Amino acid sequence: MPVAASAIYFLNLRGDVLINRLYRDDVGGNMVDAFRMHIMQTKELGTCPVRQIGGCSFLYMRISNVYIVIVVSSNANVACAFKFVVEAVALFKSYFGGAFDEDAIRNNFVLIYELLDEIMDFGYPQNLSPEILKLYITQEGVRSPFSSKPSDKPVPNATLQVTGAVGWRREGLVYKKNEVFLDIVESVNLLMSSKGFVLRCDVTGKILMKCFLSGMPDLKLGLNDKIGLEKESQLKSRPIKSGKTIELDDVTFHQCVNLTRFNSEKTVSFVPPDGEFELMKYRITEGVNLPFRVLPTIKELGRTRMEVNVKVKSVFGAKMFALGVVVKVPVPKQTAKTSFQVTSGRAKYNASIDCLVWKIRKFPGQTESTMSAEVELISTMAEKKSWTRPPIQMEFQVPMFTASGLRVRFLKVWEKSGYNTVEWVRYITKAGSYEIRC
Amino acid sequence: MAPPPAPPQKSPSPSQPSGKSEVSDLKLQLRQLAGSRAPGADDSKRDLFKRVISYMTVGIDVSAAFSEMVMCSATSDIVLKKMCYLYVGNYARCHPDLALLTINFLQKDCHDEDPMIRGLALRSLCSLRVPNLVEYLVAPLGAGLKDGSSYVRMVAAVGVLKLYHISAATCLDSDFPAVLKSLMLTDPDAQVVANCLFVLQEIWNLEANKSEEASRERETLLSKKIVYYILNRIKEFNEWAQCLVLELVAKYIPSDTDDIFDIMNLLEDRLQHANGAVVLATIKVFLHLTMSMTDVHQQVYERIKAPLLTLVGSGSSEQSYAVLSHLHLLVMRAPMLFSSDYKHFYCQFSDPSYVKKLKLEMLTAIANESNTYEIVTELCEYAGNVDVPIARESIRAVGKIALQQYDVNAIVDRLLQFLEMEKDYVTAETLVLVKDLLRKYPQWSHDCIAVVGNISSKNVQEPKAKAALIWMLGEYSQDMPDAPYILESLIENWDEENAAEVRLHLLTAAMKCFFKRPPETQKALGAALAAGLADSHQDVHDRALFYYRLLQYDVSVAERVVNPPKQAVSVFADTQSSEIKDRIFDEFNSLSVVYQKPSYMFTDKEHREPFEFSEEIGNLSLGQEPVGNSPRYDESDKDLLLSTSEREENGGPSTNGPAASGYSAPTDYNSSLVSLSSQTQSETAISDPGMPKYTSQMTLAIDDLLGLSVSAAPAPPSLKLNPKAALDPGTFQRKWGQLAVSISQDCSVSPQGIAALTTPQALIRHMQANSIQCIASGGQSPNFKFFFFAQKLDGPPLFFLVECIVNTSSAKAQVKIKADDATASEAFFGLFQSALSKFGVL
Repeated sequence: MPVAASAIYFLNLRGDVLINRLYRDDVGGNMVDAFRMHIMQTKELGTCPVRQIGGCSFLYMRISNVYIVIVVSSNANVACAFKFVVEAVALFKSYFGGAFDEDAIRNNFVLIYELLDEIMDFGYPQNLSPEILKLYITQEGVRSPFSSKPSDKPVPNATLQVTGAVGWRREGLVYKKNEVFLDIVESVNLLMSSKGFVLRCDVTGKILMKCFLSGMPDLKLGLNDKIGLEKESQLKSRPIKSGKTIELDDVTFHQCVNLTRFNSEKTVSFVPPDGEFELMKYRITEGVNLPFRVLPTIKELGRTRMEVNVKVKSVFGAKMFALGVVVKVPVPKQTAKTSFQVTSGRAKYNASIDCLVWKIRKFPGQTESTMSAEVELISTMAEKKSWTRPPIQMEFQVPMFTASGLRVRFLKVWEKSGYNTVEWVRYITKAGSYEIRC
Repeated sequence: MAPPPAPPQKSPSPSQPSGKSEVSDLKLQLRQLAGSRAPGADDSKRDLFKRVISYMTVGIDVSAAFSEMVMCSATSDIVLKKMCYLYVGNYARCHPDLALLTINFLQKDCHDEDPMIRGLALRSLCSLRVPNLVEYLVAPLGAGLKDGSSYVRMVAAVGVLKLYHISAATCLDSDFPAVLKSLMLTDPDAQVVANCLFVLQEIWNLEANKSEEASRERETLLSKKIVYYILNRIKEFNEWAQCLVLELVAKYIPSDTDDIFDIMNLLEDRLQHANGAVVLATIKVFLHLTMSMTDVHQQVYERIKAPLLTLVGSGSSEQSYAVLSHLHLLVMRAPMLFSSDYKHFYCQFSDPSYVKKLKLEMLTAIANESNTYEIVTELCEYAGNVDVPIARESIRAVGKIALQQYDVNAIVDRLLQFLEMEKDYVTAETLVLVKDLLRKYPQWSHDCIAVVGNISSKNVQEPKAKAALIWMLGEYSQDMPDAPYILESLIENWDEENAAEVRLHLLTAAMKCFFKRPPETQKALGAALAAGLADSHQDVHDRALFYYRLLQYDVSVAERVVNPPKQAVSVFADTQSSEIKDRIFDEFNSLSVVYQKPSYMFTDKEHREPFEFSEEIGNLSLGQEPVGNSPRYDESDKDLLLSTSEREENGGPSTNGPAASGYSAPTDYNSSLVSLSSQTQSETAISDPGMPKYTSQMTLAIDDLLGLSVSAAPAPPSLKLNPKAALDPGTFQRKWGQLAVSISQDCSVSPQGIAALTTPQALIRHMQANSIQCIASGGQSPNFKFFFFAQKLDGPPLFFLVECIVNTSSAKAQVKIKADDATASEAFFGLFQSALSKFGVL
């Protein structure tokens, strides 16, 4: 049995039940008390997301200020259960537009009950695709006043197509203007040693797509990945055009992509769902262009003073710029006073996370910026123990830049009516876990 | 229970219920609306229904409004209907009489022209879970399975499973499984097929123990025809259904290698699926199919590496934990294949500790000649981690790598650097490791001892670390000039030393030191022996006395005993047997992998029940009298559980399969000694000669009360039992663990027996009158569990041990007998049965 979930609970941080759904009788109704007693009220909470109490296993995850707990009594499939929770939350979000938190649940509990009934029956996951469910659960969620997203209008004459060959797209869609938006979003993960060596570096990217296309279009996407290009040149018996090619370590696709064709021809062809979806995910470890270099020098001057010097260099194109750059430099708990000098941006000491936080709103390419800070410490009893320095962490977004070098070469759209489409492509690179040891 | 929620800002109604008046107010309003056909009625009904449901969610009992809700349900508004179904489903079980009211409108809705309403009504109908309404289910289900709408068929398929769980007989008699099977093979809608598949799987799995036919049907599900049929349609299924199908395929036994490659080729693209659960399920199929083909199996590892590593990096930390657990399992099976991927297992600062722990274990496992330097460097970074348990874990990891490798030079240096970090926990962990290292590589003693000698024993507080330090002081006292004096000062503070482990080591170290440097140590040894003899801890006292007598007898013999020339340890014991590991591997993609133990250890009743017992402290009684100190037994029960799992993991002397190991004897006898001493009271009660007479009268009286005929019992066999048999719980547990099950049988229990079981004491007294003693009993309705024993009257003391589990709701009893003399167990079973039947249980 993949997942025969016995029950699902939504709890707030105090442990109050917001919503629960018992799918099977094999667990008692007091299971939530066991969860509260043995997990929430102990230090166990953060230690492991899968716990066994009595004969039942609790799989739980926290999403904003809500705990979602799945209770199973059998030897369930963990990966499937967690994926189910994640997908269910995505579904709820698409119904009430944006936030998923305690208030959203309280405001939409009838809708959630309705959805819980459809997405799981007797403990087995059924259909979680928002496209399909919106055909027959048309109740609108209560949106938070801050979300500006317009509500999707239910299609009144949609035939009830719960499943089928193209389960993710309904027929008869008509748009006045046919548009496709492609967003290539990459996050760079870096772990650099204190000596400046790259210990580990990879890029996880995803291609997000927003389609407003009429009918049943067939799409084909071309990237500058090595295998795809080689295959193409083989098929067309034409040498590879010069230009940078990249090697993808691993790719996964949305269920709409024809995987057989990907494996044989190395092309990404698909019939897209309507609206927004994640077309593919990939991972790259070779040839990553790091957008920033960080050069820290931290000197401990005696027991009560520290000198922190951080230089950040941007190594992407001079015409580009990074947004929302944040550098967090950890300092000891007993920090008393700080003073800063920065060449750009602003720096301050944040006592709640024990970090010097340096923010630069806009950081042009091929430039560098420095922060020097003096930190005074309170001398304490524990001064004999040396301070272990956590790594410096960095956040940023660089539009129109991909750390992997991935580029969209073409996006072709075929539809039997032969309309013209407008394609928009955007690139953005964000910091994943960008850590520099010092 | 749950406090009322904060008032929802958007909800039109205040959600602060004050209690009963609110409910009666709701009832009134509902009643007014019930007959109304006014244009705005549905909207006001919606608001009211919402309020009812919100009270229900919060935990306020609104079942009083049941009939009003039903009256209001006559509406065409689908949202209203859904809310009403939800309400009915919630309260039907505790108010079966009221549920009957709803049958009518649900049945009517099952014939609605809108397939959505038909489906919803059918789902609600099946979810009522009221046994006496089963008869109303069969017809709508049958119609539902033949419905023109796939939505209704989908719901109906699951409905069959729901019916099966309410009343298996009704479900099977109506021949629903056969209908499902044909639906599974013919239905054009993939979700219907998927639902049929899991329903059939579950039904036949549960039925397989009961009938031959069911287990044949279960086999058919795994036949080539069905597996291929479903595999060919796999792309039509949604992601969740694909997981299900892949799970089925993983159980399929391929006929030949072509078969294997066909399936793998068909499924290879599934490894690129966006849903991690599908990828993992596919990996399971690949791994299991290629088990017998070593080369291909290895290629599979190479192939699945990339997708697995991607999965680890994407999604929430809970998801990556689930994937990492599986990766961990694979890494442990074939560390060589992952040795070049070590960088993927470096910990991020922000990783939660449960992820870090797994990564550390994997780094340890894949370390080899080529990557040791990098891995150890990385691990050393973690030693200063803010998260102390992880820092400890990483030091241990460094030590483990050192024990695996030949080139330990660099690692020893690193370890010694840890000692200079001057953090208590780092020093403590490192000392323990240095000790283990020296046991394996005595040649490093010079380097280590030089550093260890500098550590002040005052900075070492943890017992394990202190013991390790003392061990080194004793073992290498000839190389450490201060050794006798450090030992002396430690011995002076004997009384302040709380841990017996440390005091034991202190005794031994003083002895060893004495043989190497007699004049300097003599005084300290004397003090140690004196303190040891006066020690309140039994083991410490015994060891001191033993050393003393040994020295008195012959000093050179004592030296040979205490300080013999040692051989370096070559391999430290593996913690988990390969059999257990294989079992976990068989259950790939399930909780077993996360828990790192096979499923029977956490789902099997045998293994679970001791735990549940321990939770029901109040319900457990010992012997035939409720003994005040029963929780003590409970503790030993817990210990049992613990020691069982340890034993399994250690792969210790094999127990009699999973069934018997639940009650194997504790390996650590200290724990059971405690419980033994506390149970002497009950033991005397059992062997009290006055007791049987009294109880036999009691049981006769009960027999009369129940009006049972004694003559119905089978003639007692020739075996005679000792009426005064005595066995202490410790021995019972040990025997239970050692002996094999000689008879295991299921019997049915008569209704009178069940009625009598409301007081288990009565059964216990009755059995005692038949010379069968109860040693422990417990449980809560409907499950009761008894442990009995009996002794053969003549000849050597041969015991019979019985475990009897009675389920009053299914009227079944399960009897397991173990005997010292297995040949006599048949005869004993006869006696046991006749005793039970006299009581009316059989």
